[in-house]
Amino acid sequence: MSSYLDRLIADPTSFHDAPYAQAFTLSCEEIDRLHLDGARKRFAELRPGLSVLDKLAREQGIDAIETIDDLAPLLFPHTVYKSYPISYLERSRFDKLTKWLAGLTTSDISHVDASGIETIDDWIDLLDAETDLTVQHTSGTTGKLSFVPRTKKQWRETIVHSGVIIRDWWPDRGPDIVKDGMPIIIPGYRYGAAAMQRGNGIQVDLYAKGEENTLFLYPDARFSADIASLGGRLRAAEARGEAGMIDIPPVLLERREALLELERRRPDDLKHFFSEAQRRFGGRDVYVTAMWAILYDWAEEGLKRGLKNVFGKGSVLLTGGGKKGKELPDDWRERVIEFLGFDTIYEMYATSEQMGLSMMCEHGHYHVPPIQIPFLLDPATGKPLPRKDGLTGRYASFDLMPNTYWAGLVTGDEITLAGWEKPCACGRAGPYVIPPVRRYSEQEGGDDRIVCAGAPEAHDRALEFLAELSM
Amino acid sequence: MTDPFRVPLIIRGQIIDDAEVDYGGRRGGVSFSAPDIAKHVARLPLRTPSAMADLYALSFDEILDFLVALGQRLDFGQNRHLQEAFRLSCQTSGLSESILRVHFQYIGAAFDRTEMRRMMERSCGIDYLEGWVDQGAGRFPGLTARTRAFGARTVHVIAGNAPIVSILTVIRNALTRSDAIIKLPSNDPLTAAALVRTMLEMDPDHPLSKHVSVAYWKGGDDQVESAIYDPRGVEKIVAWGGFDSVKHITRYLQPGIDLITQDPKLSGTIIGREAFADDATLGQVARRLALDIGAQNQEGCVSARVIYVECGTDDVGLERANRLGQMTFDALQRLPDHLSTPHKAFDGALKAEIDGIRLNDEDYRIFGGRTNEGAVIVSQEEYPVDFSRTLACRVGNIVPIDSRETAVSAVNAYTQTIGIFPESLKDELRDRLAFQGAQRIVSLGGAATMQHNMERQDAIEPVRRMLKWVTEEQASGEMLAALAG
Repeated sequence: MSSYLDRLIADPTSFHDAPYAQAFTLSCEEIDRLHLDGARKRFAELRPGLSVLDKLAREQGIDAIETIDDLAPLLFPHTVYKSYPISYLERSRFDKLTKWLAGLTTSDISHVDASGIETIDDWIDLLDAETDLTVQHTSGTTGKLSFVPRTKKQWRETIVHSGVIIRDWWPDRGPDIVKDGMPIIIPGYRYGAAAMQRGNGIQVDLYAKGEENTLFLYPDARFSADIASLGGRLRAAEARGEAGMIDIPPVLLERREALLELERRRPDDLKHFFSEAQRRFGGRDVYVTAMWAILYDWAEEGLKRGLKNVFGKGSVLLTGGGKKGKELPDDWRERVIEFLGFDTIYEMYATSEQMGLSMMCEHGHYHVPPIQIPFLLDPATGKPLPRKDGLTGRYASFDLMPNTYWAGLVTGDEITLAGWEKPCACGRAGPYVIPPVRRYSEQEGGDDRIVCAGAPEAHDRALEFLAELSM
Repeated sequence: MTDPFRVPLIIRGQIIDDAEVDYGGRRGGVSFSAPDIAKHVARLPLRTPSAMADLYALSFDEILDFLVALGQRLDFGQNRHLQEAFRLSCQTSGLSESILRVHFQYIGAAFDRTEMRRMMERSCGIDYLEGWVDQGAGRFPGLTARTRAFGARTVHVIAGNAPIVSILTVIRNALTRSDAIIKLPSNDPLTAAALVRTMLEMDPDHPLSKHVSVAYWKGGDDQVESAIYDPRGVEKIVAWGGFDSVKHITRYLQPGIDLITQDPKLSGTIIGREAFADDATLGQVARRLALDIGAQNQEGCVSARVIYVECGTDDVGLERANRLGQMTFDALQRLPDHLSTPHKAFDGALKAEIDGIRLNDEDYRIFGGRTNEGAVIVSQEEYPVDFSRTLACRVGNIVPIDSRETAVSAVNAYTQTIGIFPESLKDELRDRLAFQGAQRIVSLGGAATMQHNMERQDAIEPVRRMLKWVTEEQASGEMLAALAG
């Protein structure tokens, strides 16, 4: 036990491939030690290279972390990763956006010359090519994209980590997907830099062991950040009754035809996806991942076509996101399972800024891994609440795994935490989140921050909007 | 936690107060109960138009007499209905108790005879209310015409952000000889009811008392609304407030129903370079700007949010903008309690936005915004913050600009009031601002503290539009018969 803990304390990032079940056998004292040592380590290492963190620390007058509560005022508001002015995008000032991002990562990106760049997609591609970053953007459902400076190494670790979770979370049930490989089925875009797409390439590599062992709904298409950004602004404007006020970025109008091709091919893509799912993967054990709301749409479409129990009983599903913002019937879970044909489900509560995932156990609780430091904040004062079971407040957490950017965030979610005093009935030790996860306000960016179900919808809506524009 | 509040249903003089259904409020966790509207909704619309006739037995002066007497009874120190409405508003309103107290103390003063007469003279002409007014010569020789303004059977979906909306609704309904169904807002369900209860105590059989009803139902309740928004009983709808509430109502529009909307609007400020002439001038500008941002806790559509300042965007210009930001924030903190206080329910989403950009000093400077004290955000380029449409709770955004043209082009149909300094800039820009969509152009500092003619709010004339302009025409019988050949 102590060597497991010692390894995490020495290098929290090593958690990514550490046996997962063991993480939930640590005592509260051990978790406390990991939290305090880890927080001190990350603060000391990251502060000199992160100007934004340094500013926050000066603002808060914190120079050292004495107790774990000293970390709470240093958690970023979730708006930090989108604190750039949107005029940077509208005026194609990607040089300034690069400079802004540089304040949020210790990766050196100072050599990047983004002055000629016109679109977000091109900017992300430039950073991919010239730096060790693979920037991830959020879905922008509230009108503005967040950009999280995750490195290539961290992405790979994230995918390995998910593989470990799939292997270890359910005792004796999970396949060792990294070791043995498994076909992957994703009812979404193959390419893109949003949370759902960023890991695709690595999953193809590590899980599927090759492109031929995969099936995507849009195997050639990219989930475009520029379209997502327009979609988010449209949605925000429509909610205010101001859709007529939206200006379409000229560069999107120039690319309109290419974008609309995707829109036109959508029905064929869907047909192809279902027939291939049956033809190539029917009855086989596969790995499926998507947010619940998307899975439901897919399942309904499949059931309509008379498809049931499509995949093998040994298949696995990695999912999350609840049914946010969507009207689903009471039996939506059952409908999805009826279509898929298996019930080994890994359901997570996570934020796109962090690497760790809180997985749901058989008692419906999300278990916070010891590498994450959870806080409940008083919604009125922002002060941390004591580590006592059953308290409800604003959720905030710090993930010790990322070592090049500050992965401490205050969310817009209201949750209840327990597990400090009495472990969950499932037997796992340590803190856990008791659903429901409730957003303090629809406007507060919760939608934007959680790995999100609304994302492709906003993207699709923007494409429809472009299609409707009379040119 | 709080006392139970009972909201009555009042249908043309009859008070129903059996409090059968519980409702949650908007702010402050308040709940209240009200009668089950479904049981009574059929009687709410006035299905017999001829029942309007009793209003025409009253002269305009008699209507004024009644309203003036009502105003005397609306003494906050004495009137228990108003006191109860105040008590509830203290919990549900975005205005603090000290500000609300002033509003309630001045309710009676709103029923000023001279001002009510002026308002109707400006908006429709009292002669049109009192009789048929000859329209002079027309294009057909021998054809004459007379027009008279008649009241209408109207549903008022009112806003609850300040009691003035309830007051204006009751006054306008009486002066236009209309029949009102007032849909009470959940964030102020008692003020309009208090006014009508006082009318009934004064004279329950008076025609003015019998042509006003108040009811609460949950906006969007299809069963209730389809019964009410029916052209057989309702001719007009006056809708204040949010996009959602107006969107609900548009579902029921059909020929025979006229919709008058007072849309949600935002207001702003333009400050010319003259503000930086000397320290005394800048000090005055900062104090006046603090008023436009902070008065009424920025709860009104008239409150300033984005402030364009023609100080330039070079280093000297930014320093000027930042100095004005600091001075305005200081002035905001010193505003008197009856006009402005720290907001008791500071918007959490807005706070998260401010906390986020606070760490971006390349693009923004922030004065205040630590808790609920309010803030002045100074952009360091000539663009407003991305969340400018959600600025509230005494948070203003100063945007430095090189040319006043930038400020003019930012104005659109969603812009209500623009406060301007100096006066010469107002004269120079007022026509162009109107072309852009601006609806009220005022001296800096006057946006939320005083208003000359609320009957032209949003550049429409709701009072005039509440009336039906009926024309009677006359031509000689011989002339008409000759047309038949």
